[in-house]
Amino acid sequence: MQRHHKQSWPRLLDSSKETACHFCDTLFEVELIKEGEEAVCQTCGQKLYRNRPQSLQHAISFALTGILLFSLLLFFPFMRLDAQGIIIEMPVVQAVKHMFDTGGWFIALSVALFAILLPLFQLVVILYICVPLFYGKTLPYVVQITRTLQTLQPWIMIEVFFLATVVSLIKLVKLADVELLCGFWSLIAIMICIAGAFAAIDRLELWDRIEVALQKRNES
Amino acid sequence: MSGLLPSAKEQNKAACHICGRAQDAQNERCERCHTPLHVRKHDSIQRCLAFCVASVLAYIPANIWPIMIVHEFGSAEPTTIFGGVIQFWESKVYSVSIIIFTASVLIPGLKLASLCWLCAVSKGWMKTEGQFATKIYWVTELVGRWSMLDVFVVAILVGLIQVGNIMSITAGPAVIAFALMVIFTMIAAHSFDPRGIWDHIRQNEKQPRPH
Repeated sequence: MQRHHKQSWPRLLDSSKETACHFCDTLFEVELIKEGEEAVCQTCGQKLYRNRPQSLQHAISFALTGILLFSLLLFFPFMRLDAQGIIIEMPVVQAVKHMFDTGGWFIALSVALFAILLPLFQLVVILYICVPLFYGKTLPYVVQITRTLQTLQPWIMIEVFFLATVVSLIKLVKLADVELLCGFWSLIAIMICIAGAFAAIDRLELWDRIEVALQKRNES
Repeated sequence: MSGLLPSAKEQNKAACHICGRAQDAQNERCERCHTPLHVRKHDSIQRCLAFCVASVLAYIPANIWPIMIVHEFGSAEPTTIFGGVIQFWESKVYSVSIIIFTASVLIPGLKLASLCWLCAVSKGWMKTEGQFATKIYWVTELVGRWSMLDVFVVAILVGLIQVGNIMSITAGPAVIAFALMVIFTMIAAHSFDPRGIWDHIRQNEKQPRPH
């Protein structure tokens, strides 16, 4: 086990260092780049990989913050509606249940899945992967879980959900007095945390680190 | 264009689509993350076009059926997607009107058009700059999710508004059709393999067409 270069992330020396561009399949040797730099494909101009500074620390802190904020989003009221004296105030969990009762299972499920469960699951999974990696270790099933994380990533729609709340707010303002409560503000912060956690670490770096940690476990 | 760098396929290698490791194309699974390894996505053009057709089929009822029904003072008023856009436009909330129009009409339409065009480019029926086509694919994959906007708006309104017997909102059948349409276009974009475009360019470079 050798660390190759101080500026770059740890890699195994005796395994393939080649990757191919996701878009045009051009074969490249993964070169060590400095923190903050990124490699771009010469053929199609798309990003190949980048070296994020303090990647694991950033991923962990964003994910942890996001999870804490999620508890605010789920259990504290989202907004207060005052329509001629009738006050509605409910947390997201209750709103989803109400969607289920009146709007049908389909939209309740799509909101619950795309806007709440998947994002929350992804944050928990990032912690599960990155916290042990920070100490050069891995937890069981890390390979399968990391694969699932990457496969499900396109289906996170929390930022779309946020825009939807803004659009419905504009609709609601005509009907009632609207006051934004803590759930709404935590949604904005969660959105930033999720974007930050995913941008914090490159997939090549993540897999190289997992490979190194797994080999260390097998050796001992 | 001359002197393109060789592709992994030409060197009998394949890069894992999950972890990025390039390895022997004979491997059935990636040596690092055990994901099934493919040199190219299977039947990418057929699958992409099939899901495009499915999403067009879902898009028709999504626009004809009402997306939500507003019950007010004992009367029920159904609105369609396009009806909602017009309603916002008439009440002079232009920004929201444009956002909804973009998310639920413009993006799906452009996305389907660009996927069909990319399939044609990949087959070699149409000519274009490879970098441009790659950029188009990248944008297509990125914006797809935003079409779910209308589904979420209806869900939020249904979830929030329940003002006793005075007013309530229920979801119309178009919501399901519309959500399916968005999911189908997302799968269509995911099935398409942009490397096919570059395979074609590389092939042309090697053997110039006889005239």
